[in-house]
Amino acid sequence: MEIKTYLERNVLIFDGAMGTMLQNMGLKLGELPEILNIISPEKIIEIHKKYIDAGAKVITTNTFGANEIKLKNSNFTVEEIIDAGLKNAKEAIKDKNCFIALDIGPIGELLEPMGTLSFEKAYEIFKRQIIQGVKSEADLILIETMTDLYEAKAAVLAAKENSNLPVFCTMSFEENKRTFTGCSAASMVMVLQGLGVDALGVNCSLGPKELESIIDEVLEIAKIPVMVQPNAGLPRLCNGNTIFDFSPEEFGDYGQKFVKKGIKIIGGCCGTTDAHIKSLVKNLENIQVKNLNYKSIRGICTPTRTVFIDEVKVIGERINPTGKKLFKEALKNGNMDYILREAIAQVEAGADILDINVGLPEINEEEMMIKVIKEIQSILDVPLQIDSNDPKVIESGLRVYNGKAIVNSVNGEDKHLEQILPLVKKYGGAIVGLTLDDKGIPSNAEERFKIAEKIVNTAQQYGIDKSDIYIDCLTLTAAAQQENVKETLKAILMVKENLNVKTVLGVSNVSFGLPNRGLLNRTFLAASLAAGLDLPIINPIDQDMMDTIKASKVLLNTDKGATDYLKSYNNKDYKIPKVEEFKKESLSNIIEKGLREEAKDATIKLLEQKDPLLIVNQDIVSALDLVGEKYEKGYIFLPQLIQSAETVKESLEVIKNRLSKDSFSQISKGKIILATVKGDIHDIGKNIVKVLLENYGFQVIDLGKDVPKEKIVEEAIKHNVKLIGLSSLMTTTVKNMEETIKALKEVNSNFEVMVGGAVLNKDYADMICADYYARDAKEAVTIAKKIFG
Amino acid sequence: MLYINKKEVLRYLGYKNQILDQTTKILIEECIDEIRHLVSKRYIYRILDISRKESKIILSQYILELEGKDINRHLEGAESCVLMAVTLGNYVDTRIRYYEKFDMTKALILDACATTAVEQVCDEACEEIESKVNQQGKKLTPRYSPGYGDLPIEIQQKFISILEADKTIGLTTSSHNILIPRKSVTAIMGIVDENQKIEKRTCLNCNKFSDCIARKEGVSCGN
Repeated sequence: MEIKTYLERNVLIFDGAMGTMLQNMGLKLGELPEILNIISPEKIIEIHKKYIDAGAKVITTNTFGANEIKLKNSNFTVEEIIDAGLKNAKEAIKDKNCFIALDIGPIGELLEPMGTLSFEKAYEIFKRQIIQGVKSEADLILIETMTDLYEAKAAVLAAKENSNLPVFCTMSFEENKRTFTGCSAASMVMVLQGLGVDALGVNCSLGPKELESIIDEVLEIAKIPVMVQPNAGLPRLCNGNTIFDFSPEEFGDYGQKFVKKGIKIIGGCCGTTDAHIKSLVKNLENIQVKNLNYKSIRGICTPTRTVFIDEVKVIGERINPTGKKLFKEALKNGNMDYILREAIAQVEAGADILDINVGLPEINEEEMMIKVIKEIQSILDVPLQIDSNDPKVIESGLRVYNGKAIVNSVNGEDKHLEQILPLVKKYGGAIVGLTLDDKGIPSNAEERFKIAEKIVNTAQQYGIDKSDIYIDCLTLTAAAQQENVKETLKAILMVKENLNVKTVLGVSNVSFGLPNRGLLNRTFLAASLAAGLDLPIINPIDQDMMDTIKASKVLLNTDKGATDYLKSYNNKDYKIPKVEEFKKESLSNIIEKGLREEAKDATIKLLEQKDPLLIVNQDIVSALDLVGEKYEKGYIFLPQLIQSAETVKESLEVIKNRLSKDSFSQISKGKIILATVKGDIHDIGKNIVKVLLENYGFQVIDLGKDVPKEKIVEEAIKHNVKLIGLSSLMTTTVKNMEETIKALKEVNSNFEVMVGGAVLNKDYADMICADYYARDAKEAVTIAKKIFG
Repeated sequence: MLYINKKEVLRYLGYKNQILDQTTKILIEECIDEIRHLVSKRYIYRILDISRKESKIILSQYILELEGKDINRHLEGAESCVLMAVTLGNYVDTRIRYYEKFDMTKALILDACATTAVEQVCDEACEEIESKVNQQGKKLTPRYSPGYGDLPIEIQQKFISILEADKTIGLTTSSHNILIPRKSVTAIMGIVDENQKIEKRTCLNCNKFSDCIARKEGVSCGN
């Protein structure tokens, strides 16, 4: 019988711990248990047999850590260990009626952005395990003890794309109901279910008692079978050994309780033995399988944040180059900091979701989408909306995104639906459906509704749930098609009433070509919200728009008791114009004192009387020099120096906006590459150097951390730079620094290299053939000045 | 909630009695407050028996052998030792990365607060262990970590795997033996007789003596 058929009528019982049984047999901690598959198969077979005798229906291969990273220093390959693992399982089963689960645990290294292992590499590592598991005839794949949702996603994708086997996936939670990396139960369910696993659940870390509340949370929303493998109680250290206190009887009792709640798959983790499984089997005799009674949820997420679309949620529109000179420049130059600051500002202003559009003809949109998503997710946990016309870009975005995303968008054309919907289904996203098709945007609401209906029906045929479809009834401009503006509102009403889906709308198009756009925008926004709009796509930095949403929530009775409204506006002088007094300070004083918030206004004011270049060369540079001197003499310390540097940055930002491209190049003193070398991820020092160099007008190409020498050489040639700055904090990575210098000098002996980092000194720098040693950020500036004259 | 010693934070920031302006003062206070909310402190330790063979120290219950002058001196007179791992979790890392994008000053100060915090958690863990060994008339030698002296950083992976730190506290290493989450510590302490005199760690018996920048500037590196 197939597992899935079995599951429909039965509770599926897994085995218990492998490690505990092995330790009982004398395995030492620190040894790789997986190599026993080959060097003492009899032990493994014996354990499997014990579990089969106890009544387990599924036994799990001894391959938890059988990945290329953990086996690196062993004498065996991944393939050999996995094949032996499956052979042992088969040998133990013989002719009995049991299934074999290929066990896959975490890789043991954390993925980016927390660690250094890339998502793509993690996928490849899992793929190797899966391919061998399929070859050696596993019945299902068990991905377990995951604490990082991103890693779980890589493993599930590898399993789904390289096998037809059922995939079960469980994660480990702490008592605060989060995994070590902060993933919540709701995010786990949204993402794993979306990726199409056959069962999901929780295992390890805690005992049955502590897991109960997490299990409840999962059961409440999961549409697919839920699995649990608890430890035999809370682990406790005793004389250096981990002890688990739960008796087999208690374990069995809890098992029964869980199954009565709706758990369909159950087994044991650390500390459980065949006695626990035996008790479980006994307790589950004659227990009826309970059908899940889940609550349907609408929403998207990242591992640490879920956004439920249960009231109006704001989608920030600013990550989009359309009509933005500086944004286009940033995309062309790969200036991530600019883009990230746009993201941060929107979230700070209250955006719940960010739309990401990086389409520009001159750049590789696919690469940029991947990069921007990864970078944003390394610092913010706001869910994202992937916005592109290109299915390839959408797929790549969905693939690397950590969580459940929205795709913006699909329209009513058959071809487009065929291209986009399978992607949304495969990666488990939500989809924006535009009410237009090959004939364009229909002028009336009825036609738009028809397209919406078609999109909803087709998406459902592809297996996409209604709760994951958001319809965009499209805004037309009042200046050109005034009579059609209200059709949008009508269409929203129709969609909400008849299709039971959520709606999304970019509102600011309405005012195009008319004066006082803000007024039209917020009026139209209010009308749309009244019509039932759920997801306005707006500029959240526009306070009027955000205020309109807050007010609408009160008037539409969704902000009950005006709680949020009161919180925002009660006792607050929310519209008092800024106090003018600080402007008495001169820009150079502001820089010296590091009064960051005041730099912008002071610069604007100064620009009224002075040429931008003159401000740079007189006010800014002299203040910087003064601050630098104070630092060198020890009158101020590092945070004060950096605070002044950040203040200059604010001021330069204003000046850059004023300058044309040509005159801007006049203040550019030259290009410098900065990188933290391969193997090292301590980059705070490098980032400080960057801020200071930029202050002095140098254009810094920041390659980031853990950068291989090949990449540094490639970029140095590409940008034709004179000076390269390398940093390293560890003795072990100075070697990589030395190799990078060698590689650079081999290609071009004119490349000048400066190095810095805590373990370095002048002698050491000489030894690895660096041209300059910068003991701190200030000295890096002195070196740069010297080189560029 | 975790206690953060402001003096320590200032020390990590290279403070040498300069005048603290209001902006910096407020930033430091804010960061101290923030770090205390960001930290999810977790630690694990095991007490292991030691045997010695020639110049090697063998932790016989586990697959681990330690070699080197420094570790031998460090564990002198000990018949058992403690392996310990401490982490602040990865929210701290994310937040520092976040500030680095638009407020380098805050990133720098938060980083120093996190370093102070991780040492504080180490102290707490050690106090707990110390009170246990005190009952048996023993005491702990100071903490010693992979990557210091001649104890190779490559041993980090072994420490993690013996403590099962990935599973128990979510602590891993990168392929280059950097602890992740970043604000984490692994250390080994000897358990010695209460009366044994412990050689105080000074710059003089550190093998980074000639290279150390902190020492040249007249301050301690803190290790």
